[in-house]
Amino acid sequence: MMTATSAAGWRRYFGWNTDHKVIGVQYIVTSFVFFLLGGALAMVVRTELAAPGADVLDGATYNQTMTNHGTLMIFLWILPVVAGFGNYLIPLMIGARDMAFPRLNALSYWLIPPAGLLMLSSFFAGGAEAGWTAYVPLSIGGPPGQTLWALSVLLLGFSSILGAINFLTTVITMRAPGMSFWRLPLFVWGMLATAILSLTATPVLTAGLILVALDRMVGTHFFTVSSGGDPILWQNLFWFYSHPAVYIMILPAMGIVSEIFPVFARKPIFGYRMIAMSSMAIAVLGMTVWAHHMFTSGMDPRLRIPFMVSSMVIAVPTGIKIFSWLATTWYGKIRLTTPMLFALGFISMFLIGGLTGIFLATIPVDLHVHDTYFVVGHLHFVLFGGSVSAVYAGLYYWFPKITGRQYDERIGRAHFAINFIGTNLAYLPMFLAGLLGMPRRVADYDPSFTSLNLWATIGGFLLGISVLPFLYNALLSWARGPKAEANPWSSLTLEWQTSSPPPPQNFAVIPTVTHHPYAYGDTPGAEAVAAPATAGAGGSR
Amino acid sequence: MSPHAMPHAEDFRAGQALGVDHRKLGMWLFIASEVMFFGGLIAAYLHYKYSLGFPEIELLNVVQVGVNTLILLSSSLTVVSALAALQAGRPGRMALFLVLTIVLGVAFLSGQAYEFASLYREGVTLTSGVFGSSFFTLTGFHGLHVAIGVVWAIVVLLGGLRGAYTAERSMGVEIFGLYWHFVDIVWIMLFTLIYLIP
Amino acid sequence: MSETVSHPARRQPRYGVIFLVLAALTAIEIAVGGSRLDRRLLVLALLALAFAKAGLVAAYYMHLRGDHRLYTAVFVLPALLLLVFALLSIAI
Repeated sequence: MMTATSAAGWRRYFGWNTDHKVIGVQYIVTSFVFFLLGGALAMVVRTELAAPGADVLDGATYNQTMTNHGTLMIFLWILPVVAGFGNYLIPLMIGARDMAFPRLNALSYWLIPPAGLLMLSSFFAGGAEAGWTAYVPLSIGGPPGQTLWALSVLLLGFSSILGAINFLTTVITMRAPGMSFWRLPLFVWGMLATAILSLTATPVLTAGLILVALDRMVGTHFFTVSSGGDPILWQNLFWFYSHPAVYIMILPAMGIVSEIFPVFARKPIFGYRMIAMSSMAIAVLGMTVWAHHMFTSGMDPRLRIPFMVSSMVIAVPTGIKIFSWLATTWYGKIRLTTPMLFALGFISMFLIGGLTGIFLATIPVDLHVHDTYFVVGHLHFVLFGGSVSAVYAGLYYWFPKITGRQYDERIGRAHFAINFIGTNLAYLPMFLAGLLGMPRRVADYDPSFTSLNLWATIGGFLLGISVLPFLYNALLSWARGPKAEANPWSSLTLEWQTSSPPPPQNFAVIPTVTHHPYAYGDTPGAEAVAAPATAGAGGSR
Repeated sequence: MSPHAMPHAEDFRAGQALGVDHRKLGMWLFIASEVMFFGGLIAAYLHYKYSLGFPEIELLNVVQVGVNTLILLSSSLTVVSALAALQAGRPGRMALFLVLTIVLGVAFLSGQAYEFASLYREGVTLTSGVFGSSFFTLTGFHGLHVAIGVVWAIVVLLGGLRGAYTAERSMGVEIFGLYWHFVDIVWIMLFTLIYLIP
Repeated sequence: MSETVSHPARRQPRYGVIFLVLAALTAIEIAVGGSRLDRRLLVLALLALAFAKAGLVAAYYMHLRGDHRLYTAVFVLPALLLLVFALLSIAI
């Protein structure tokens, strides 16, 4: 029998394969490689910023480094890795044998390695220096690498859009009998909301990038200021996508957290429908807030207040989710496994990130802290403390399912501890630095910010180190870890009702769903910890 | 190693129960993304039209392009007639309507080429200024979509001649039709926004 | 997979009639566009005509009318979003 670890099995991952489980792993592993590259760039950034003065890199090289750090992390790590989770899990969770369009699915993945290579090659073509936001007119001039940057992001956009078409069609048309929308796992709801955003917002960035590419390659005048080109137009097109992009990065993460909490608190998720509807609300609202990135751009001032209001309103569905997760743990029988630790860490760190987001949404505050380290602190708490924590939680939670092996729990907990300390140490000082006036995207800074930066650098290096126990654990366990059962966590969602790893056709027999997937601890007269579910249903009673 | 199988009809039970075909839904979702893509280009055009003003609009020939618009509209008629013919069990008639569609599509593209050439003669080019860049990019991408449609029409025609489609197996033609009509709708909007609205 | 059976005899003339309406609306558009109406009224009239044409193609040629309303939602909601974005892009 071919397993993911057998000698011939691993070869599947290097070629064209239409099995969503293979594609999911391809996405996850490829994006993790870019995570490591982006992280290496972060180590360079923090080395430079450990002391004032452009002592390690010159200004231009620093700009390329921070541009590619952000670009790799956003476009080649978080966005594809959540697509990878979606790819692997959605068909299993809804009781389907694959995605609706398996060949399109493979194409979506195979756009990523060439796009990644294009992105990396930009370093050797003079580099892209304009930040991941590529504001014009800076990105219109500058070295040739910027064109490669734009083309790379274009390719990744196509991948996203095709993936979104697949996710939406699959969930709507391929659910197993009995799997109504209100019985969908919350991770699937999160991916539904995410796919809606990917589908509608990404094409606007595509349009904007084409305009930039045309200006650079052909000499059009979209953004040449002397011809009348308007930098605000680029910002408008860019942020119309890039704000929803952050929700694309967080909604699947929240979905992962929603899966993990009920399992490791051994209680039904609190407020299932509220969480599902909040995901959709965040998606819809998320398309109405983008200009809060432009408060200082010179945009029409009368338009700023509606964006401030919508940006604050989005805190409501977000808060509903946080309270629901906390309520799930209330009187729960909590197991502090590695996935649960990362999920708990997500709550605390995303909370900090989210609350500071409300500060930034407030125009008067934003006018002072825009483009300072306050923003850098905010974004890293939501993206690293938030999304990356949840991704780690998911990687540990579904590790046995995907690889058929169990990881080492103690090393996992050690990873969590170093990661948690490192994250807080790296990013908390940034809020202070920003409030005190340190601008972002600088290689050199006023000496008064030195100690804050030094702490951040130490935290950053801790984060760099923290990857090592994870890699050691993941690689060794995948190769030689103890074999995992079908359902080591005693979970009720469908992916756990088949073998670890699942057979190529996912289920021997497509299950008929009769229950909600979160009926933990509900057995009348039984103990709080539910017995492992028997095969064939989204609930065994 | 058991080969990984493509999905079968019964895998789409949930869609069938809803009355939603997965291929049709996939095409509509793609169309939604194209709406937003053209939206980005249209937003750029309108942004500059109302901030800078486009004096070059004087040079546009509304009547000629109006005729071209009618050509594209009639191609939508021929496309939907092709599908209707197929569903009535008349594949020969479908082929005829597809040929007409291709002819009309090529005629539209020729009309566009003619218009582009006359603008170029007046000095309005892709790189001559903000208007030229916006106008040619927006109409150019639309033309590109028509061209892709023409190639797709040829593929569908060849498939039809080979007997690939029947009254019960018409989804391939229907999906092509959806794409073609969408491209027509984009032109309906562009004609108004570029040529008619002051 | 079975698909709905159509009634071609009734449909063909309908498509033809729709085309004539589209052609007529186009002619009206060109006339209105060249007229000296007050500018705001002109813009509204032209937009209304364009949406009417687009709506006819979508409803009848793309068969949105009579199909599952999910397809209509998938088309109309992004179109509305685009409308908002385009208007905002003019103002911003």
